[in-house]
Amino acid sequence: MAICALAQQAPPTDLVVKNATVMTASHGTLEHGSVWLHAGKIAGVGATVNAPASAVVIDASGKWLTPGIIDPHSHSALDSDINEATSPVTPSMMMIDAFDNRDKALYQALAGGVTTELLLHGSANMIGGQAVVIKNKFGLSRDAMLFPNAPRSIKFASGENPKRVYGSRNQLPSTRMGNFEVMRQSFEDAKAYMATWDAYNAKVAKGDKTATAPKVDLKLEALADVLRGKLYVQIHCYRADEFLTEEAIAKQYGYKIRAFHHALEMYKVADKIAADGTGIATFTDWWGFKDEAWDAIPWNAVMSMRQGVKVALKSDSNDHIRRLNSEAGKMIHYGGASEDEAIRMVTLNAAWIIGVDDRTGSIDVGKDGDLVIWNKDPLSTYAHAEKVYIDGDLFFDSTLAGLGTPHFSGAMHDGGGFGSDDEDGEDGER
Amino acid sequence: MRTATRFISLLASAAALLTIPATAQAPVAKSGPIAITGGKLLTVSHGVIENGVLVIADGKIAAVGEAGKVSVPAGATVVDAHGLTVYPGLIDPDTTLGLTEVAADEMSNDLSEPSDEIMPHMHTYDAFHAETELIPVARLNGVTNAVVAPAATDSVAGQDIFIQLAGHDRDAMILGRDVALAMNYGADQRRRGGRGGARGEFPSTRMGLITQLRQSLLDAQHYEADHAKKSEAKEGEKGGDKPSERNLKLEALLPYLHGERPVVIGVYEGYDVESIMKVAQEFHLKVILNHVTHTQEILDEIAAWKVPVIVGPIYDFPRANERFDAVYTLPAELAKRGVKIAISSGEAGGPGGAHSVRNLPYSAGFAAAYGLPYDEALKAITLNVAEMFGFGDKLGSLDVGKMANIVLANGDPLDVRTDVKQVYIDGVAQPMVSRQTRLRDEYSKP
Repeated sequence: MAICALAQQAPPTDLVVKNATVMTASHGTLEHGSVWLHAGKIAGVGATVNAPASAVVIDASGKWLTPGIIDPHSHSALDSDINEATSPVTPSMMMIDAFDNRDKALYQALAGGVTTELLLHGSANMIGGQAVVIKNKFGLSRDAMLFPNAPRSIKFASGENPKRVYGSRNQLPSTRMGNFEVMRQSFEDAKAYMATWDAYNAKVAKGDKTATAPKVDLKLEALADVLRGKLYVQIHCYRADEFLTEEAIAKQYGYKIRAFHHALEMYKVADKIAADGTGIATFTDWWGFKDEAWDAIPWNAVMSMRQGVKVALKSDSNDHIRRLNSEAGKMIHYGGASEDEAIRMVTLNAAWIIGVDDRTGSIDVGKDGDLVIWNKDPLSTYAHAEKVYIDGDLFFDSTLAGLGTPHFSGAMHDGGGFGSDDEDGEDGER
Repeated sequence: MRTATRFISLLASAAALLTIPATAQAPVAKSGPIAITGGKLLTVSHGVIENGVLVIADGKIAAVGEAGKVSVPAGATVVDAHGLTVYPGLIDPDTTLGLTEVAADEMSNDLSEPSDEIMPHMHTYDAFHAETELIPVARLNGVTNAVVAPAATDSVAGQDIFIQLAGHDRDAMILGRDVALAMNYGADQRRRGGRGGARGEFPSTRMGLITQLRQSLLDAQHYEADHAKKSEAKEGEKGGDKPSERNLKLEALLPYLHGERPVVIGVYEGYDVESIMKVAQEFHLKVILNHVTHTQEILDEIAAWKVPVIVGPIYDFPRANERFDAVYTLPAELAKRGVKIAISSGEAGGPGGAHSVRNLPYSAGFAAAYGLPYDEALKAITLNVAEMFGFGDKLGSLDVGKMANIVLANGDPLDVRTDVKQVYIDGVAQPMVSRQTRLRDEYSKP
């Protein structure tokens, strides 16, 4: 499928958005602020900026400006290839292989101001596959949509989903005991594999010409990369006891957990998890869809944040991804987050979960020019994205007729479904 | 929408019992008069009163008006509402409250009876679980009433109840039984044997669905005529058999064939709306359309039918190559054409239906964000719903004589940032607690 980008002008070298209410996500809100983008990067932010006279200037009086919205838990644009649910351990699955860059879900998210997404494997497996990080440059080629040099992430899961998927086939795991033992055995296998390679490499280093290389095993290689700390571990996990077990296993095998996803019971043990340095990517107010979501409360995010946990909100849904901004607004209602704290949950903290917070997620000099102009306060019910810039280039403009996509023409694909974790099991659960 | 699962668990019922309430839902004792003073009153029926007074007596609104023009009765409990917004309790026109607890736990679900497609004799009041933990959660965000309908599995799914989200017991909470017949039409009702399955049972196509429905309605008409004839005929005359046994299924259709009560038809696609409306008109059904999220091409036609519409979920997805706001703008487009609209709390693909009822005001706010005038948005979750289901004289606005279902909030009711401070149902201040607030408070202790 060839991508035919529209004939278009290159983005201006210098662009200034002025007179906006600038929510920086890192250092508060500036009334009547200006932001200068130079060659796709943020070059200035403040009451005034030192842009050259040749800069294209957009007057955003009465409008709001935020960093691009970031979703640290999406299954968009993966058709129905979210779960390789044929084995509870599939760490060599690469989500890039399923990425359909013309899926309509990307467009609809873009219209909601989403500029970066972490596309994750589903939660059928205790150890799922490796994620792909995209910039939502809808209309560009697949390769052009990849977030350059983003850290690699791998999806783990726990609890009801793996035990349901495999238990229903009378396979291991069908219980939480089974779930965690499958994990431990996998890491034991990986350690043995690494030892085999270490022995071989030692022989080679000594000049042993007779040494035979062990076979490369993609599955064990991926697990070894977890143990080597080369992968950010993102764990689908709901219950308080399971956070503790996961942290214990991580410590036993020597890797760090970047974030618990869903994490609906984090408010029960937030102080402990904060000490481990693990963040969370959670729903705002979904609850009651299954037993392990029965103790979910909408105050979870703010309560966990107050205990020192890095908190991001996420969609896990092609629906909610379109309005993560107003989901963040709910945090003012549920727990009294400040506006700064609320916007950070869908920008800078989400970027941290993915490991790209040094590049995007806030309006700071040197960061990527990923910006959204909103017609109203983005934390209210009423805002919609008017213009979305990624790396300084305009990818969505609601004032344009038609789709409002300067870079996209042609036909979108419809991957179907709701873009949730394991709906492939036909139950739409998370 | 589509939440059926096969997973069974026993955990939920045990976990549900953090505390045992003395009544099904909150206290019901009537108190003396209450005067809510100084608030901004959104009356819904007659505009906004910036500095208003609302008096509650005997569970009803006894007076409403500007401060200074309404006398506060002696002995009234005065509630200072300065800085607060006061508005009628919100009404969700399409929920499964009380028919489910934990969505994935089949034993907690009484959502639909899928063994047949024509099930008008299913009465949701037989399943409504008054003690559900979901009701206080919805009530905390200002929802005081709701329509409870079966899930959309069947062409004719059963009959709805209209509930109050507080009351001593099940019967006290049901304000109306069999208030509407829940019907559905489109791809989801086909018996296809799973996703895209080819091995279906009848009716596996839209042709089958319509034929079966039409036959059922004809059967009901025949049944009625036959019974009338048999009971009128004198003994010994031709046709003077005793009336045959009662058929509850066909009888259940009769009030709707007489146009006495509305049928709510859940249908998404424009061409499906056109098909099912042909049948509805043929049998003179009193129609409320539900969903209609992909009807952009027939909006004028819908307006010409002069039927009310529950539009949404507003978050339903546009199709590929449709503009991002193709569904978001539907409430505004319908209202502009003079259609009476209501809005429900449903989400696209979310748990929806019951657990997300608390998000009802935000659905309406979202419609306002995409062009629906604010007053119409508020009406779409209050007065319009009450009127559609026969409670227009009792609920949905701040008017004297109506039930005192009143909400006090610290801002715009449709905004996600707003916090509801107090809910009154039947004039009684409801405790602002739910299982979730109890968990919050328990784990907030130092």
